[in-house]
Amino acid sequence: MPSSNRAATVMTLTLVSVLGVSTAHGQELTVYSSGPGELANNLVSGFEEETGVDVNLFQSTTGDVMSRLEAERVNPQADVIISASWDSAADLEAEGRLLDYTSSNAESVPDFLVNDTYTAQGVAALSLAYNTQSDVPRPSEWEDLRDPVYTDQVSMPDPAQSGSAYDFVAGLVSDRGEDAWALLDVLADQGLIVPGANRAALNPVLQGGRSVVFGAVDYIALGQAARGESVEVIHPDSGTVIAPRPIMIQADTDQPDQAKSFVDFVLSETGQRMVADVFLMPARADIPADRATIDELTVIETKDDVAADREALLGRFKEVTEGR
Amino acid sequence: MRRRPEGSHVLVAASAVGLILLVGLPLLFLLLQAVFPGFNEGSFDQPFQAFRETLPDPALAELTGNTLLLGLAVVLGTLVVAGPVGLLRAVYRIPAATTWDVIFLVPFMIPPYIAAMAWMMTLQPGGYLEQLTGVHAGGFLFSVGGVVFVMILNLFPLTYFAVSRTVAAVGGRQGAVARVCGASPWRAFVRVTLPLCLPGIAAAQLLVFVLSIEEFGTPATLASRSGFHVLVTGIHERFADWPIDIPGAAVLSTVLVVLAIAAYGLQHWLVTRRDRVTVTGKPVQPQQAEPGRWRPAVLAAFGMLAFAGVVLPLTGMVVTALTRTVSGGLTPGNLALDHFRAALEPGSGALTALLNSLGLATGTALVTAVAGMVIAWCVVRAPVRGRTLLDALAVLPNAIPGIVVAVGLVLVWNQPWWPITVYNTPLILLVAYCCLLIPYPVRYAAAGLRQTSVSLEQAARVAGAGPMRILVRVVLPLVLPSVLVAMLLVFAVATRELVASLILTPPGMHTVATYIFRQFEQGSVGEGMALSTIAVAVTTGLLLLVARRLRGGMLV
Repeated sequence: MPSSNRAATVMTLTLVSVLGVSTAHGQELTVYSSGPGELANNLVSGFEEETGVDVNLFQSTTGDVMSRLEAERVNPQADVIISASWDSAADLEAEGRLLDYTSSNAESVPDFLVNDTYTAQGVAALSLAYNTQSDVPRPSEWEDLRDPVYTDQVSMPDPAQSGSAYDFVAGLVSDRGEDAWALLDVLADQGLIVPGANRAALNPVLQGGRSVVFGAVDYIALGQAARGESVEVIHPDSGTVIAPRPIMIQADTDQPDQAKSFVDFVLSETGQRMVADVFLMPARADIPADRATIDELTVIETKDDVAADREALLGRFKEVTEGR
Repeated sequence: MRRRPEGSHVLVAASAVGLILLVGLPLLFLLLQAVFPGFNEGSFDQPFQAFRETLPDPALAELTGNTLLLGLAVVLGTLVVAGPVGLLRAVYRIPAATTWDVIFLVPFMIPPYIAAMAWMMTLQPGGYLEQLTGVHAGGFLFSVGGVVFVMILNLFPLTYFAVSRTVAAVGGRQGAVARVCGASPWRAFVRVTLPLCLPGIAAAQLLVFVLSIEEFGTPATLASRSGFHVLVTGIHERFADWPIDIPGAAVLSTVLVVLAIAAYGLQHWLVTRRDRVTVTGKPVQPQQAEPGRWRPAVLAAFGMLAFAGVVLPLTGMVVTALTRTVSGGLTPGNLALDHFRAALEPGSGALTALLNSLGLATGTALVTAVAGMVIAWCVVRAPVRGRTLLDALAVLPNAIPGIVVAVGLVLVWNQPWWPITVYNTPLILLVAYCCLLIPYPVRYAAAGLRQTSVSLEQAARVAGAGPMRILVRVVLPLVLPSVLVAMLLVFAVATRELVASLILTPPGMHTVATYIFRQFEQGSVGEGMALSTIAVAVTTGLLLLVARRLRGGMLV
């Protein structure tokens, strides 16, 4: 059967052409980045253009980036890591796995977002994400959702599956103590759903089955609004939690100089504008953004002892929200 | 006593080495990781620490119970839903039979996480159903029942093809003999055809079971909000949520693997109790009856299954791709091709991702088909000890969640002492897909071989053929139909594999699934659904081309 031979040849050629482009690992820089993918791509191509250094980018969710890092521990591959979780950077530092470096471009980054080994490159805030087409009134405060009018209208990301949702619960509990749990208790009584990570919590609100996300990561909802979705981001005046997104260099990198220049680029004016383009707050205070910035928000300080006991916090959250 | 065919030990050795490299090593490294928590750092301290911490956890019993419940419910459900339809396909001459076969292959081309998302967008409060009719099915969808429902509709083709193929092969001849001997049609079916079909059906239901307990996307999307957690969601929580607990995840994975081995043992016992040779080399004309006055009822059964299992999820997917915004809903002004345009825009990387996936899937189908046939022959025919072990090794990957295989592969192939390694090249994906999908060709080829009499091979030996020649000229043509179906399945699944790809894709590369997932996570659901529509259309088109070449007779 000549034609099936031809088909086989075509398939083999396709295979060879795909596999043939096996990446050569010379003096390229390897960057592991959590989302947004658009930002990671822009940063990498901007850096390649400016320096001529080739970058291998692995871009995925923070969870996948971190499990890849863990699995690779015996033979680490990444030079630079961008995470969406501040805690993950703190843990890596505590294990001595990060290189000491503070970029000279980090001068205008607020002090609490700079450490010896990691620096925030962008910051997200937690918010109420409200579907403007819904029948319920627009909330402006966390406590507004106690109103029975919001029964079966609220959705929330799961702190066990989303680092920022964890920070949010830890922040509220630091700020309000038992009142925070009482609020969650009321919300749960009124049919709160906790469907998954941030995307999963936002989806029912976009489709209209729910009206408000309690503790939405703001840049995602702002991005959706920019795409024409009828969703509004509300930062309560009483205060909100921020989730800084750290950039860091793995301690045993082969190319410390190039890794440092990548960090410099991300914190440069060009890099920070790219951060602002995806609706994150730039870490540098001197870069304008088309959204509320850190100094315009009331930031809740999270107590370390509240945030540190992960098991207790998640256990109580599960107790309050599940099994009704 | 059969005499050991010369050269068979070469094939057995090759199978063993191949399977150990592909499946054994990642599993071994994972087990080492479960036993030695510091294994990923090269340390062997504190052995069994993770077992001590994880096993007494009361949550473990709940996770295991839920996993078993889900697996058994889906196994029963697929039998109830697809068994009768498969039977009809075998017994009656169905109009446009090959077309129905192709339609029932489609669920394999819809990734489970896409299907779950499409069902959610359709049935949840505010979903398409409510927008059109004012009612929603959120209460059902976001429950254990909803997960079982969606997973049955994802997996029923396995049952359908197994039932229709084996019953057709067995029913004609043996059934006819029983009828000649005076059995009623019902008696002939229950006492002769059904027992003879058991190996094929049991093998398929084993796959259904292990795929159900391994599936992540559907339970995570639909049931986590009702507090229904299974082992795989627990494994993912430990693997992918900070702080990452690889040892704990490895321990849960071993529990899952034990469940799968138990299921395998049960199936093995069912299948090997008796000899079930049905193809003896004598020509058989499959005998199919005309449906006659049952024709409308038969077609209605096919139509209903196709509507629920294929049309509804496809519609949910396409409609989401066609609506500009989710909040805009199903209004004329909100319908547009924007998402397709964005997905096909040059430089979006979507087309490259599609080509990558098609190339990898082709490679995986070819490699696993050849390897699967050789392994199946060793398992069924080679008179050597340890062949059950080969068989078990070849079905295990189906019981291991993709993320576990992925981490196992990183642990193996990222060791600094390998002189060359596939890690961080696209080849690691080929290895991962082959590992995950080798069970299909092995299962299908083995089921085909078990129904083929060894006397055909003995005849070839008497006529002077060597083992390779027998394999190529006698065994291959006999099992080719089964293996071709397996190849189609492998191709379809490999084009959309998500979980392992997310971890293993080398920097700078994308596959269809990782691309779509990135759109879901960071772009818009619509754009992800648009590429997924394109991918389903392309893979279905390719499979149609192949199916057309198998003209006449059944696709399987």
